[in-house]
Amino acid sequence: MLKLKDVRRSYQLGPVTTEVLRGIEMDVRSGDLMSIMGPSGSGKTTLMNIIGLLDRPSSGSCILNDRNISGLNDNELSTLRNRYIGFVFQSFHLLPQLTALENVCLPLIYRGSGRPEMRDRARALLKHVGMAERANHRPSQLSGGQKQRVAIARALVGEPALLLADEPTGALDTDTAAEVMALLKELNAESGVTILIITHDAAVAEQCKKQMRIRDGKLIDTRNLAAPTLGNETEREKMPGASS
Amino acid sequence: MRAMSVLAANGREAAQSLRRSGLRTALGLIGVAIGVSSVIAMVSLGEIAKEQARKQFESLGTDIVVVRDNASGGGDQGGLDLPIALALSDTLPSVLQAAPRIQGYGSFLFAGRNVGQGSIQGVTEAFAVVNKLPVAEGRFVSNLDINRSYAVVGAEVAQKMRGPAQREVIGERVDINGTLFTVVGVLEPYVESYALPVSIEANRSVFIPITTAQRTSRDPRIEVIVALSAPGVHHETVAQDISNYLRARATKMQPDIVTAKGLIAQMEQQMGIFTLLLGGVGSISLVVGGIGVMNIMLVSVTERRGEIAIRRALGARQRDIRSQFLIESIILTSAGGLLGVVLGLAATYAISRFTGWDFLISWLSVASGLGTAAAVGLFFGFQPAYQASKLDPIAGLQGH
Ligand SMILES: Nc1ncnc2c1ncn2[C@@H]1O[C@H](COP(=O)(O)OP(=O)(O)OP(=O)(O)O)[C@@H](O)[C@H]1O
Ligand SMILES: [Mg+2]
Repeated sequence: MLKLKDVRRSYQLGPVTTEVLRGIEMDVRSGDLMSIMGPSGSGKTTLMNIIGLLDRPSSGSCILNDRNISGLNDNELSTLRNRYIGFVFQSFHLLPQLTALENVCLPLIYRGSGRPEMRDRARALLKHVGMAERANHRPSQLSGGQKQRVAIARALVGEPALLLADEPTGALDTDTAAEVMALLKELNAESGVTILIITHDAAVAEQCKKQMRIRDGKLIDTRNLAAPTLGNETEREKMPGASS
Repeated sequence: MRAMSVLAANGREAAQSLRRSGLRTALGLIGVAIGVSSVIAMVSLGEIAKEQARKQFESLGTDIVVVRDNASGGGDQGGLDLPIALALSDTLPSVLQAAPRIQGYGSFLFAGRNVGQGSIQGVTEAFAVVNKLPVAEGRFVSNLDINRSYAVVGAEVAQKMRGPAQREVIGERVDINGTLFTVVGVLEPYVESYALPVSIEANRSVFIPITTAQRTSRDPRIEVIVALSAPGVHHETVAQDISNYLRARATKMQPDIVTAKGLIAQMEQQMGIFTLLLGGVGSISLVVGGIGVMNIMLVSVTERRGEIAIRRALGARQRDIRSQFLIESIILTSAGGLLGVVLGLAATYAISRFTGWDFLISWLSVASGLGTAAAVGLFFGFQPAYQASKLDPIAGLQGH
């Protein structure tokens, strides 16, 4: 469904070029529940922006549903984003002025759905994540866990091929984080939603069927490694750019 | 389909978003409202002044044509013979009536008392018709009064003749510059209009047959012809006809022809320029209001970078973001325009009450005020909206 081949991304800061991603190889299949771990500054968000069609790689190819996205213009990327990608962010990124229901409607607005059907669909999604009674609440009236549920509903309302979650539990306490993680797992197991979770948290990563790490700007499969023994502290020293 | 859905959503959210940033919206609104209201007030006042001036003209008849001789000298009889002047209306179908006048000045004595001094106007029957001089008692000068010493006196002269005793004046004899005239008529009080280039001053004048004036006046030249053009004839046609007629028959004359309609047209043109100027002055404040709106929108875009990035991540295209902010600024300025129309009309009403002019609503100014307000929103909203659409979503998402 999604294939990255030798994806590189470098940033030019004055005369210095820092290569954050140095040849990412990746193959996400429909129905996957995959985690990507890595210390701060390792390039996780950079990678997610590329997968989420918000950013373009400096080189390498990114193939979504057999379609190379490198030649597409901004409009086409926006359309693909709307159709195939659902985002869940660490800090929820709900629009504060809109109700939960209106927030969930947003992707459908940009798809051009009719108003009654989009509200019906949004209600159904809110119900699915257990937020039906909070449909008319604004984000400020919701707890962190509730906000993330609404955000997940918003990410899924357009039936995307891939749900991208960047530290979805990063702003939540342990119990709430576990609940959100349980919801994601349930969505994957029962509705077959393909989910890619970026996280710092080994406990979160462990719950995923596939587990990857970013190391030296490359993605390595850690499913077969004794991954949890690698502490964040020791790894951070090894990472490029992390200490500078 | 998609575009409509996005536009509808943007429209729904724009009003909310404007209400949320209450004070700022209010300031932008007021700026535009002041601009629009000053345009409307200025243009309306211009229109009202124009209407006022036009009414003044119309009260004395828009069909009046005044002919004078610009050539000085021309001998004792002047450049224009009376028969030629009198035949004007019979010869030209475009001229309904023609009233020549010989004018002198003198003092009037009645029963040994001075009853005023004023102009002695040698006229024909047509003069009363053309200049709308209503007769109160007796009759006006008639075309049968050739060489007769009859006089019609103005209201003020008659008043003085009557004296405290309210004497009858018809049939009495009045001494005009040493000649005795029999009073055959008294005029109603006459309201002079200063809009036309001929002064009547009927109240303080005496009117005598023009043929008599030719013999008794020190200056027996025809001073002016006041004519009435036929209905439906263009004022320039009448002027041309009269000019051709006089040039052919009175070669020593240099006719100077002024029509009321020509004056009105000239006046309207000047007032039009005046209105335009006023509108221009009003527009300056509208532009200032527009710059205010642009400022507000720029701040709004900066504040909402995060929101823009989220919308982009969820699939909004650049043009969706652009239309979102454009709609906001157009709604803002249109609302300001609406408020401005109300304020402008109120100001116009107050001023017209104060000056005693007739209040009228210039729909043109209302329409153009609203139209310009929306255009200001589009014009000054474009740059902020464009900026918003070009923001980098990645930076916006991280900026929280
Ligand atoms: N726009 C940019 N310009 C220059 N350097 C950048 C830019 N964005 C990211 N970087 C650099 O790229 C590296 C990776 O950043 P990235 O945000 O992908 O890390 P991360 O793994 O998501 O970290 P975290 O866990 O803290 O979110 C960092 O060293 C960062 O400084
Ligand atoms: Mg990150």
